[in-house]
Amino acid sequence: MAATTGSGVKVPGNFRLLEELEGGQKGIGDGTVSWGLEDDEDMTLTKWTGMIIGPPRTIYENRIYSLKIECGPKYPEAPPFVRFVTKINMNGVNSSNGVVDPRAISVLAKWQNSYSIKVVLQELRRLMMSKENMKLPQPPEGQCYSN
Amino acid sequence: MAENGESSGPPRPSRGPAAAQGSAAAPAEPKIIKVTVKTPKEKEEFAVPENSSVQQFKEAISKRFKSQTDQLVLIFAGKILKDQDTLIQHGIHDGLTVHLVIKSQNRPQGQSTQPSNAAGTNATSASTPRSNSTPISTNSNPFGLGSLGGLAGLSSLGLSSTNFSELQSQMQQQLMASPEMMIQIMENPFVQSMLSNPDLMRQLIMANPQMQQLIQRNPEISHLLNNPDIMRQTLEIARNPAMMQEMMRNQDLALSNLESIPGGYNALRRMYTDIQEPMLNAAQEQFGGNPFASVGSSSSSGEGTQPSRTENRDPLPNPWAPPPATQSSATTSTTTSTGSGSGNSSSNATGNTVAAANYVASIFSTPGMQSLLQQITENPQLIQNMLSAPYMRSMMQSLSQNPDLAAQMQNPDTLSAMSNPRAMQALMQIQQGLQTLATEAPGLIPSFTPGVGAPGSTGSGGPTGPTVSSAAPSETTSPTSESGPNQQFIQQMVQALAGANAPQLPNPEVRFQQQLEQLNAMGFLNREANLQALIATGGDINAAIERLLGSQPS
Repeated sequence: MAATTGSGVKVPGNFRLLEELEGGQKGIGDGTVSWGLEDDEDMTLTKWTGMIIGPPRTIYENRIYSLKIECGPKYPEAPPFVRFVTKINMNGVNSSNGVVDPRAISVLAKWQNSYSIKVVLQELRRLMMSKENMKLPQPPEGQCYSN
Repeated sequence: MAENGESSGPPRPSRGPAAAQGSAAAPAEPKIIKVTVKTPKEKEEFAVPENSSVQQFKEAISKRFKSQTDQLVLIFAGKILKDQDTLIQHGIHDGLTVHLVIKSQNRPQGQSTQPSNAAGTNATSASTPRSNSTPISTNSNPFGLGSLGGLAGLSSLGLSSTNFSELQSQMQQQLMASPEMMIQIMENPFVQSMLSNPDLMRQLIMANPQMQQLIQRNPEISHLLNNPDIMRQTLEIARNPAMMQEMMRNQDLALSNLESIPGGYNALRRMYTDIQEPMLNAAQEQFGGNPFASVGSSSSSGEGTQPSRTENRDPLPNPWAPPPATQSSATTSTTTSTGSGSGNSSSNATGNTVAAANYVASIFSTPGMQSLLQQITENPQLIQNMLSAPYMRSMMQSLSQNPDLAAQMQNPDTLSAMSNPRAMQALMQIQQGLQTLATEAPGLIPSFTPGVGAPGSTGSGGPTGPTVSSAAPSETTSPTSESGPNQQFIQQMVQALAGANAPQLPNPEVRFQQQLEQLNAMGFLNREANLQALIATGGDINAAIERLLGSQPS
């Protein structure tokens, strides 16, 4: 298996991420978040992309938010590093580069190793529906952070 | 080759053995794969060739989901699938799920809104010819602002609804929020010309089915609409946003003052539910409780209640008269509603709505008025009596004939006089005295000019005839210092009053004995001011203290 997989992968260590990738591809969940490897050739399973579909009846409705998620070597013991690619105006997200402040998002601040990328994305989506966020004025659709 | 063919190594574990073989086979034959497409609401399975492009996939999807391909956004593993990609490129295999988002047209990105937006972003003048037809044709326009809504809807700047009425409503919401826009629109000569055409406006208003319903329920409103004077003034007011704002403020001020007296709030509420609410509803839900709309869109009603209020106040500094008309529109007794109807029609005779509106609030805010209102609410029968009094008609007629009276009403002296409960008491005494005089010495009355402008001079003493008659000559001296119109007006008023029988104002001092003592103990030594404040607030000490503190500088 490893041989056919390809050149010297560290894959075996990251069973969790593998499971998550599979989950992302199979589209488990309610279809409002999606995630997958940023680069399918990435054997380190560190760089992921996520997608959140803006919840209805909020200002984010009908928008699709793209995110970059980096799972560090200590994942899942340590939380991933999450960054919005699509511009968004939301509490806990740095408005200039889209970085999600881990101290502001509860799942990141109180990370548990049972959490996953799916959980992070779903939590961010849930926060979009919160009263404090759901009406924040948003930048025009389709804009991305420059970094 | 295996890793190239597959999305990546990781999915391998789940179908490791098959991967090696399947991957080899996959690129060679266009295998049909089943891909599940999942939206937040639905899930469908699609069988497509493995090597199809995303575009083809979308076409298949659009048929099933009944949308257009450009409305579809496909997401797989956190990436948006672009049309020119292939499914394989993203590693979409048999049994995997792709997320679908169907973009609806709400958001600005909808292209179908472009035509209306493009038309809108042109100068409003360009769009106004179009708007001319639309307000009249679309029955769902809220009147008043309906026409503007039509205009404004076409000049909507980037509003994202395709539905015209939605567009309109959004525009109106924006208008509500943005007075500058309103001003701009108002200044548009076309708008002004349209607004200044009462017939057109009436047509527009009548065209609204809700308005029609409202009219059926409340015939007074049709009176308003059919009266060209009122319409004209309404339109004038509507045309001038500054004036409208001021009127709004006045109205709000008056209403808020009304609230502060015990019975007043109920009266206000009734007034609102009976008159304003249907008007506002007729002006569509967006305007809900929007006071701006109540002036702009249901300005007729605003004017309607105001003329009834103001007109009745004009001829009669008599504190009871104006609120009966107001209260009659508010209170639920049937007689009062007919009274207000007649009040409206008679008020229409005078052309003073605008000027009247401006000092409506000031009059309303006088404590005398408020105490009167209190009385009114306590005694609905009083209103009926008041209204049926023929003198009211005569007063209004006299006022209409004498525009000076209206000006005189704004005389601060009059207001201050009215605000003094003792002055009102004195007036009552005069009235009674006049009655006595009328029976005993009819010849004396025409030359009788009691001074309204002499507040405290009469004192609050016993309301006996002799006292009044003795006070009367003393009062004749005071008005000589006042202006001519004042005297005339007073004369007329008193003459009219002479025929009526007004109930006695319960002595406020007695009622507020306890509160007065408290205020005294607190250090408010001005007994008169205390009394006034207590009367104004209906015995509420805290409010009275605030009034006293607020009025000290003045």
